[in-house]
Amino acid sequence: MCGPLPPDNHRSGKPVTAQTFNRMTPYLFLAPAAITMAIALLYPLGYMVYGSFRDWDPSQNISETDFVGLKNYITLFFDPAFRESLSVTLIFAFTVVVAEMVIGVGLALLLDRNIRGISVLRTLFILPMMIAPVVVGLMWRYMYHPTVGTFNKTLKSLGFDGVDWLGQHALLSVIIADIWQWTPFILILALAALQSLPASAIEAARIDGATAWQQIWHIKLPLMMPVLVVTALLRLIDAFKVLEVILVMTEGGPGLSTEIVALRISRTATEFRELGTAAAMSNYLLILLLILTLAMFAIGRLQDARTARLARQVQEEEG
Amino acid sequence: MLKYTKRITLGAVSALALASAASAGPYDEYQGETLIVNFPAHPHFDAVMKILPEFTAETGIEVEVDQLPYLKMRERQTLELAQDEGEYDLIAYVVFSKADYVYADQLENLARYFMNPKLADPAYDADDLIDGYVYNIGFAGGNKGYLEGKTGSLFGIPYGSETSILGYRTDIFDKHGLSVPETYGELLDVACRIPDLEPGMGGLSSRAASGHHASHAFLLHLAPLGGRIFDDQWNPIVNNAAGVEAANALKTIVDCGPEGAASFGFGEALGSFLNGDTAMFLDTTVVAGQINDPSKSKVVGKVGWALHPMGVRRGSQTGGFGIGIPSNAENKEAAFLLMQWLTSKKGDKLVALAGGNPSRFSTHADQDVNAKFPHMATFGEALKHADPDWRPIIPVWGKINADLGTTLSKVLTEDLDVQEALDGVAERTRAVMEEAGYYTWQ
Repeated sequence: MCGPLPPDNHRSGKPVTAQTFNRMTPYLFLAPAAITMAIALLYPLGYMVYGSFRDWDPSQNISETDFVGLKNYITLFFDPAFRESLSVTLIFAFTVVVAEMVIGVGLALLLDRNIRGISVLRTLFILPMMIAPVVVGLMWRYMYHPTVGTFNKTLKSLGFDGVDWLGQHALLSVIIADIWQWTPFILILALAALQSLPASAIEAARIDGATAWQQIWHIKLPLMMPVLVVTALLRLIDAFKVLEVILVMTEGGPGLSTEIVALRISRTATEFRELGTAAAMSNYLLILLLILTLAMFAIGRLQDARTARLARQVQEEEG
Repeated sequence: MLKYTKRITLGAVSALALASAASAGPYDEYQGETLIVNFPAHPHFDAVMKILPEFTAETGIEVEVDQLPYLKMRERQTLELAQDEGEYDLIAYVVFSKADYVYADQLENLARYFMNPKLADPAYDADDLIDGYVYNIGFAGGNKGYLEGKTGSLFGIPYGSETSILGYRTDIFDKHGLSVPETYGELLDVACRIPDLEPGMGGLSSRAASGHHASHAFLLHLAPLGGRIFDDQWNPIVNNAAGVEAANALKTIVDCGPEGAASFGFGEALGSFLNGDTAMFLDTTVVAGQINDPSKSKVVGKVGWALHPMGVRRGSQTGGFGIGIPSNAENKEAAFLLMQWLTSKKGDKLVALAGGNPSRFSTHADQDVNAKFPHMATFGEALKHADPDWRPIIPVWGKINADLGTTLSKVLTEDLDVQEALDGVAERTRAVMEEAGYYTWQ
């Protein structure tokens, strides 16, 4: 790719060309990766954006469809069902991520010690996230079954009334199932972060007489924060796109109470056969996730800046 | 993706078949061809798999079956039928796909095959096919665009016909001296007396979960109670008195049904009846096989069958599948021969004996079939009342159906007022129809 210069150029004595060629070399090396990325990532994305401006039935090729401008976006903006779906998604995503972060980090703090059988415990804890989502959905659906489900059978055997899990409390029920499945993800990342913390800082805190709680609150959590921010972000993105478990458990019902955006996109494309609207909906979701991602990174930057400022202050005071 | 590709290869049998097919006349030209067909994973088509070797033996035409769960099947067909050259020679399609496929010019008009003397079997007896199904699944371009009528023509043939039927527990009915309900008044009365007579047991198990389950259950009651989604000018009338009565009937059934019935899909509703948790089941005829299967059912030998109760008229559902030839198929004529063989009197009887749903009057009345499946005569009677217009088959139905189903789910679980709910559905339906151009001529 970067062999000897063409003889003509060499003879013509134009060093600028040679310099240009040299400057181009890194770009030439990058080209295959860039082209692959453009084809694999940008093309489908561009196709989706293009499709979102068209009135597109799945029986048509995209070239046969009519251009409708921003109609799909505007219709969605005023569509109460889509807005309900968006609010369900926001409630679902933020609830599960907060709950999973609290439980996952809590468990990690408990497990971050040398006790017998810890590796077995860790393996057991991460089992749920290894199960296929459809299986998780089915499993929980049967456990929530009003008459033969584990929960109601247990409640009834203890003398309580059964709970209408997937009827009256459908959103709570799918949130519980998601927390069960994905808390281990937070756990393993938080545990890895904890184990990579500098022992000297914790040692120093202990010598200074910090209690276990003070160590967690003032040393461990702040040091883990960069990892936790990224972990929360990854879970949040995933929670916005969750589909299979809810599809299997409730199919979005009752009413629209558990119809998250990913499920509505799927139904719009397959049941309503409106690919243009489904593409527009996907773009709304994409924009939302982009905003969240940027916000999370901005928070991370602010924290870094604050830490750097504090470090400078300490240095100045010491100096 | 769940995908079952089953190649029906015959080995020694095909060699024999090729020899015998030499005198088969109409099949000569197509011997040795391999047809690729797309069928759903469904009890009827499981039965079809059993009889396909006989077709190959008789004709020398081999058949390769791509069997998919039916929603996946529809997705796959949507992609496949839009290609210039398709993979499938014959497809099974659900009834609501008819509008999409015909509108997009993706299914062959069958006229030129039935006009071709080399292909059309004179003994086919199309009049024996069940009328409601031919119109519901096969016809397009007639009345309302999707029914029979002078402007309509045939694009597919029903195969795997289902209608709604009332299954009831004979032991429970005998024990309490209950009569089998013949009208909606009697049905709702019995459904709500059962929980008192048999504590812990629900009256009737119905699907009711949000979306198409709730919508399907509502439509089951709407037609017999005299309602429709639209009038003849496409004005939504789902919120009229009959619509409200149908929604109230569904609510009563769910309230008097087994615990948690409001979140039941079809599987749970059937499971509840199979498990002995309810005294009645009102849904598709396709369940008969499972109800009589001791490995799946606790109520074998305890279930009687009756016609879907009457409201102001008889009107049971029309459902199931049809088979048609894609416009982009490679082997269209051989595909037609397979289609004709499967839906012939012989093929229909064979599939019925193998546990499928017959599509002909004669098969329902056949002695051999009735000896093996005693319920078949009642099912045949029910099919005479199958209403091809029990739900509209128009391209925008998917969206209306979803809205209807989610709104009814709110009626069942959140106590939303029935009239208010249906008024909302009617208003939104009008907007959808307006946008789709149904009021252009008004």
